Amino acid sequence: MKKLVTRRELLTLIAATGTSSAVLGASAAIGLIPDTQVSIPQIPPIDAANRPIVAILGAGISGLTAAYELKKAGYECVILEAAPKAGGRVKTLRSGDIIDEVGNPQLVEFDDEPHMYFNAGAARIPSSHRNILHYCKELGVELEVFINENKETWYQDDAMLGGKRVKNIQFTTSARGFMAEILAKNFDRHALDQPLSEYEAEALLGAMRSFGDLSEGDLYKGSFRAGYRSGGFIDHGVQRDIIALSELLKSRFMRSALNANEGDTGPILFQAVGGMDKIVDGFVRQLEDKIYYNVIVSSVQLAADKVSITYENGGSKYLLEADYCFNCIPTHLMAGIDNNFPPEYIKAMSYPSRGTAYKSAFQTKTRFWEKEDIYGGISWTNQPMRQIWYPTHGMHKEKGVILSAYNYADPLYFTRLSQEDRLESVIRQGEKLHADYRQQVEKGVTVAWHRMNHMLGCSARWGRGFGGMTQEAEAMYRTLQQPAGGRHYAIGDQVSMHSAWQESAVLSAHWAINHMVERQAGAGDLPGQKL
Amino acid sequence: MTKISGKITAAVIVSLLAMQQSANAQQYELLESSNQPLSIKICATCHGSYGHGNPVVGGPSLAGLEPWYIKKQLQNFRSQYRGTQVDYLPGFEMRASVETLSDEEIESLLVSIQSWEARKPVATISGDSSHGSELYASCAACHGASGEGNELLGAPGLVGRDDWYMLRQLKIFKSGYRGSHPDDSGGAQMRVGMQALQSDQDMNDVLAYIGTLE
Ligand SMILES: Cc1cc2nc3c(=O)[nH]c(=O)nc-3n(C[C@H](O)[C@H](O)[C@H](O)COP(=O)(O)OP(=O)(O)OC[C@H]3O[C@@H](n4cnc5c(N)ncnc54)[C@H](O)[C@@H]3O)c2cc1C
Ligand code: HEC
Ligand code: HEC
Repeated sequence: MKKLVTRRELLTLIAATGTSSAVLGASAAIGLIPDTQVSIPQIPPIDAANRPIVAILGAGISGLTAAYELKKAGYECVILEAAPKAGGRVKTLRSGDIIDEVGNPQLVEFDDEPHMYFNAGAARIPSSHRNILHYCKELGVELEVFINENKETWYQDDAMLGGKRVKNIQFTTSARGFMAEILAKNFDRHALDQPLSEYEAEALLGAMRSFGDLSEGDLYKGSFRAGYRSGGFIDHGVQRDIIALSELLKSRFMRSALNANEGDTGPILFQAVGGMDKIVDGFVRQLEDKIYYNVIVSSVQLAADKVSITYENGGSKYLLEADYCFNCIPTHLMAGIDNNFPPEYIKAMSYPSRGTAYKSAFQTKTRFWEKEDIYGGISWTNQPMRQIWYPTHGMHKEKGVILSAYNYADPLYFTRLSQEDRLESVIRQGEKLHADYRQQVEKGVTVAWHRMNHMLGCSARWGRGFGGMTQEAEAMYRTLQQPAGGRHYAIGDQVSMHSAWQESAVLSAHWAINHMVERQAGAGDLPGQKL
Repeated sequence: MTKISGKITAAVIVSLLAMQQSANAQQYELLESSNQPLSIKICATCHGSYGHGNPVVGGPSLAGLEPWYIKKQLQNFRSQYRGTQVDYLPGFEMRASVETLSDEEIESLLVSIQSWEARKPVATISGDSSHGSELYASCAACHGASGEGNELLGAPGLVGRDDWYMLRQLKIFKSGYRGSHPDDSGGAQMRVGMQALQSDQDMNDVLAYIGTLE
């Protein structure tokens, strides 16, 4: 008898046949995506006459979270930020902003209107990210729906239909139809290790037929679910063409079209009204006089009773002595900042590799996508630009700002090019999705996170194997999570197992605060774990 | 999009950046009154604070490096002698970062870099230094008997340099990623010098020996 497949084996099987996004999608479906609880730290009140000083290095979301919670509890917080603005990778670009790419600074020249912005870093929040949502609520940050999956958008694959674009809805309806046909035709209720009853078999067949909208004889002959080519309201509707199975199978999108966009990247997510950095603004309003901009941390020295931080501003050096330090400077940059950290901590800090991500955007002369029934969502292509995101904000206005490329698989493809070549390359690729793209787009900007000043990367990448973090990576991760010298906490999504989300940055700050509070209570100094 | 080219000075970028910062007018003053070029801060992002190097990003230590050599290498990157191969990321990133530097900016950078204090690098490579000392005999002709360098020959000092960085350079000289540009005469000389090193082990050994030089 066949052995039942376990969940882990199922995942490995899927992983072996597909891309990691298949694994992600599947993990979400069977409940392995991390579950976060609201974990706002309970910080015991402190002696007002003797407030501990906390130096927070970097005004990323994790640094802001730590400062906000600790300040509320009465700690004296000082945030040192190298950039002229808070937020780090939560970055919204508007008219007049500077993109501080090393060697390629750009000025953003979008029209100066409220809906003309681009979220160059964080852009979407899933409903399961309860802690960042908690702060949005508490800080009065207005949210709206972000449409992540929209069946009216396009798929374009050079390998399929000679590179012709097809509507997502046409692609997925055809794919389901043929899959259902094959399943229904070959269905044998005795083939499983425990046969289905006739009643169960009928129920399953019914589900398959309906899944694929099969015609008589369990054949897929097209479906109105793919939309009308014409008519449908006053006159008879004419069905859209079927995409032949042989064409569908030429495209790698067959591996993702039906299972992508689950969990963290589900169809409906949220965004901050007016730009993601409204979340940063929410924190900054509470911390206004605590944040120092354009100060570059150049040394962190641990001592038994304090942490000494040297920073530079305007060519002068300053020294700040603190009781605790919460540090979200990317670890690969911290590796170049003078310090006296223990060797194993430095090793852990140097372990994860610099993540990569590339986004670019254009202002458009018209909202041409709305004429194609697209309001929000993402078109996909197998070209290096990968995606186009259509904004919902500013619906029916004259212009908009679209995301014109988002590549985290081979993001250095564009990063390596000159600014002119990046934009030209993206336009040429975009023309396969929208024929008049070149005429439509203007004022392009590119954000190569690998080369953004004070960042030089996106989320830290820890070593991963099939079942998650490798053992070696996890050991390093645990070392980095512990406070160096008992007083220096590394924070940020880099100190999480689920990097590239604001939620992870927030939770890393909560973890560190809770750990500090427990140590203060004496528990952290005892061997073993507190139960 | 406006690409802010090298023609617009660092000062313009500073004031553009300052315009962006919302709240703190005081910081603005401080920033503007600074006489350091903005780009020096950019160098530290990759080369570590005070140019002490960052092995993770791959930027070698610059503190203590001869100004004439820094100048030459900045020009080499700018002229595409180094860092053009897309599959050699460290060189590529460095070139892209300094491509638009003007001659004046380079001069003022050299002054700022002078203020960085050299620091003894931590050894990361182990090798047979006595074999290394035999191999070094051929290097000495250009780099000097105690690795002090020779400006006339364009050969930099090798003492106080990060061994991980030097190893990478030896490898790219060997593979032709550095020193192959037809106008890169310094690189071409060094490629000749490389003939003394036959294997990776030779490279480790000679670097172990260089690590013992004062
Ligand atoms: C392209 C992209 C897309 C993303 N999409 C999403 C998304 O849709 N949803 C989501 O929730 N998250 C998303 N993320 C992830 C999210 O942006 C990050 O997880 C989060 O913002 C990280 O916050 P952090 O606290 O780790 O700090 P960071 O944002 O990494 O901030 C670090 C800070 O340290 C500062 N710094 C560096 N060096 C120094 C120094 N020497 N001295 C002082 N300060 C210094 C930097 O200027 C910066 O402000 C995305 C990220 C990227 C890049
Ligand atoms: C994006 C990161 C980055 C930035 C920014 C950067 N560098 Fe570099 N630099 C590197 C890397 C990496 C190397 C090593 C290249 C190699 O391995 O060939 C390097 C090499 C050099 C070298 C050659 C050293 C030698 O011994 O040959 C000099 C000189 C140098 N950089 C100076 C500067 C200066 C000055 C600045 C600021 C204007 C700067 N760099 C900015 C990453 C950077
Ligand atoms: C014929 C002269 C010559 C000989 C012999 C020679 N070198 Fe060089 N070396 C140079 C020159 C010139 C440069 C600078 C190249 C440039 O301008 O890019 C250089 C550069 C280097 C560098 C790179 C330094 C840096 O900061 O990037 C290293 C490392 C090095 N040499 C090591 C050696 C070793 C080890 C040997 C012996 C095996 C050796 N060299 C032999 C001339 C020589």
